[in-house]
Amino acid sequence: MKLIAGVDIGNSTTEVCIGSIQDDGSLRFLSSSCSVTTGTKGTLTNVEGIITALKEAVGQIDKRIEDLSLIRINEATPVIGDTAMETITETIITESSMIGHNPNTPAGAGQAVGLTLNIHNLDDYSRTGKIKSNNDYILVVDKEYPYSKIAKIINKYSSNYKIVGLILQADEAVLVENRLDKKIPIVDEVRGVDRIPEGKLAAIEVAYPGETIRMLSNPYGLATLLNLNPDETRAVTPIAKSLIGKRSAVVIKTPYENVKENVLPAGEIYIESLEGKNYKVTIDTGAEKIMEIVSQVDSIKDIHGQECTNVGNMFSRIKKGMAEVSDEDEIIRISDILAVDTLAPVPIAGAISGETGMEKAVGIAAMVRTKMLPMERIARALRERLRIYVQVAGVEAVMASIGALTTPGTRLPLAILDLGGGSTDAALIDSDGQVRSIHKAGAGEMVTMLIQTELGLSSRATADEIKKYPLAKVESLYHMRLENGAMKFFEEPIDPRLFGQVVLLHPEGLVKIDEEDISLEKIVSVRREAKKKVFVTNAIRALTEIAPDHNLRNIPNVVLVGGSALDFEVPEMLMDELSNYKVVCGRGNIRRQEGPRNAVATGLVMSYVGEG
Amino acid sequence: MSNNRPTILIYTLNVDDYLMVEEMCAGIEEEGLLYEVKRHYFGVLEELSYNAANESILGCGIGVEGGRALMSLRNMDKGEYVFSLENPSLSQCRKLGANAARAVKRVAFHDLSD
Repeated sequence: MKLIAGVDIGNSTTEVCIGSIQDDGSLRFLSSSCSVTTGTKGTLTNVEGIITALKEAVGQIDKRIEDLSLIRINEATPVIGDTAMETITETIITESSMIGHNPNTPAGAGQAVGLTLNIHNLDDYSRTGKIKSNNDYILVVDKEYPYSKIAKIINKYSSNYKIVGLILQADEAVLVENRLDKKIPIVDEVRGVDRIPEGKLAAIEVAYPGETIRMLSNPYGLATLLNLNPDETRAVTPIAKSLIGKRSAVVIKTPYENVKENVLPAGEIYIESLEGKNYKVTIDTGAEKIMEIVSQVDSIKDIHGQECTNVGNMFSRIKKGMAEVSDEDEIIRISDILAVDTLAPVPIAGAISGETGMEKAVGIAAMVRTKMLPMERIARALRERLRIYVQVAGVEAVMASIGALTTPGTRLPLAILDLGGGSTDAALIDSDGQVRSIHKAGAGEMVTMLIQTELGLSSRATADEIKKYPLAKVESLYHMRLENGAMKFFEEPIDPRLFGQVVLLHPEGLVKIDEEDISLEKIVSVRREAKKKVFVTNAIRALTEIAPDHNLRNIPNVVLVGGSALDFEVPEMLMDELSNYKVVCGRGNIRRQEGPRNAVATGLVMSYVGEG
Repeated sequence: MSNNRPTILIYTLNVDDYLMVEEMCAGIEEEGLLYEVKRHYFGVLEELSYNAANESILGCGIGVEGGRALMSLRNMDKGEYVFSLENPSLSQCRKLGANAARAVKRVAFHDLSD
């Protein structure tokens, strides 16, 4: 009897499968394990992770690593992927300020226009006659003033002067309103009150209960309130747009001398084919058109963007990033891209509290073919450490296909779809055992990037967790509603910090999402859309290319393997889409027990028997 | 004791705590809810908040005594609470009041730390 181990070094995990060859040549699988890949895939630091995984696997069958007669490691796919995002147009508005936000408890619904006036100066100005009784004023109050004092001051002055609105720094709108003789709109929780210029014409609006603001989110509404001419109205349109959906807002008119609109051209993408043909596509035609052109090119030699444009900058950034990762001297050539339409938050110049507006953007995942990763070096290092024969055996895609065949219910020809982090790979074994494989740019990391930008999240890690786990809303201290509508009850009251929050159902407990004001429905829809845009598009793209006659219907079975095949909704999405082509598609179940994991490691052990 | 107005009840023992109570009331008012303050003459803090929560129509009450405050909800056992403050700042009291209202409104709580 001979013990052999298959080792698959992936981007995030290292997987091991142990099999024994009986004296009659038959193969039995004994155990498997999975541990974190140490260091970047393809580097010598991987050895530690491999040894950890091997120890665990042999430990399960009461053996030691020395008992192994052979270790086979995979020849890793020589592609690296990266993602980038760029807005199509960039509009800079200067010299006009705005505040738009959703305070929890605004007060005094309605709108008002007046000159801004700081409460500190009220006494002085009224004594010196600086305040005119025929002007309307909007009072700006910082948080040093308690609500009772503010109300007293306003009640005192409102008989002589017209105070039509109030901007508060503290969260006290209701408290002040309840003490006013005459009700006026009040915007509270404005952090940057000190940045509001004095003596400028300002318009404030508080939405009626259950509604969002109407006048300030409408360019003509702004024109009406602030007396704008047609040119000025055009210039404030981005402000109006960014205020859509807010419950309260302030817009301050400031001199228009320096207004300039700076529109950086969107730019073109140039695709060079191996045959020397050149294709170009303008980026503002949208992702669909870009992908149509990409699909027309048979074999891509390189892709780059027009210089001094948004897209040009994006491609040079991707190439620079990849050059650092690949640590090779060769010229980085992009061999595939996936473009996706999305929305990205753009800071609005003139915003007082850092408000952003959502602008149309294109997200791009790019993939670079590199030289073979130096697996031989790893094999040698492993051989010296363990004194066991180590062999680099077989192309990753081929090994994965062989491993995937152990999934019950499959037969040849069989396609596998490896949903990874940086790229989506597909391979097809036909009835003669011939394997064709392909790599497409865009996978898990692209989904994370789309979730992060569309939700405006500050951390990539949060976006990654949103991608991985379903959501729930904690409705009381004793129950929560899951995103599918089901309820879950607790016997003990849960942590009050989670009350009323949207939480992730992490295996280790509930995790709060540290961003304010994003509803559960919004997160779910962004998450699902991102997964569809990347994985469904790429599955169709990749499978069509390897399918006999480029017809998906000629593939009877598709087995999903790889990390993203463990996702709680991606396999269902793909199954749904591929059933339109009468393809049987599902999450793999390697050796009837491993799920979508361990396909490559299993393939490595099986192929040894084939070779033997 | 019965009460027909939809209020959050604040039960207190000691008049020395009135500044704390005032801020809690402001917190509740800002959130748009009603409150009622009742002075008791005996009892311990855990009993005050337990009784306040169970006698409030909204099922939410605060007990205040000797510079300490507890916020409880109906059906919690005596001694159980959602928030507890000891010698709090005024802004913490304001937030505690707001959180009592938010428990009724089912809106996420403020962080009580200063």
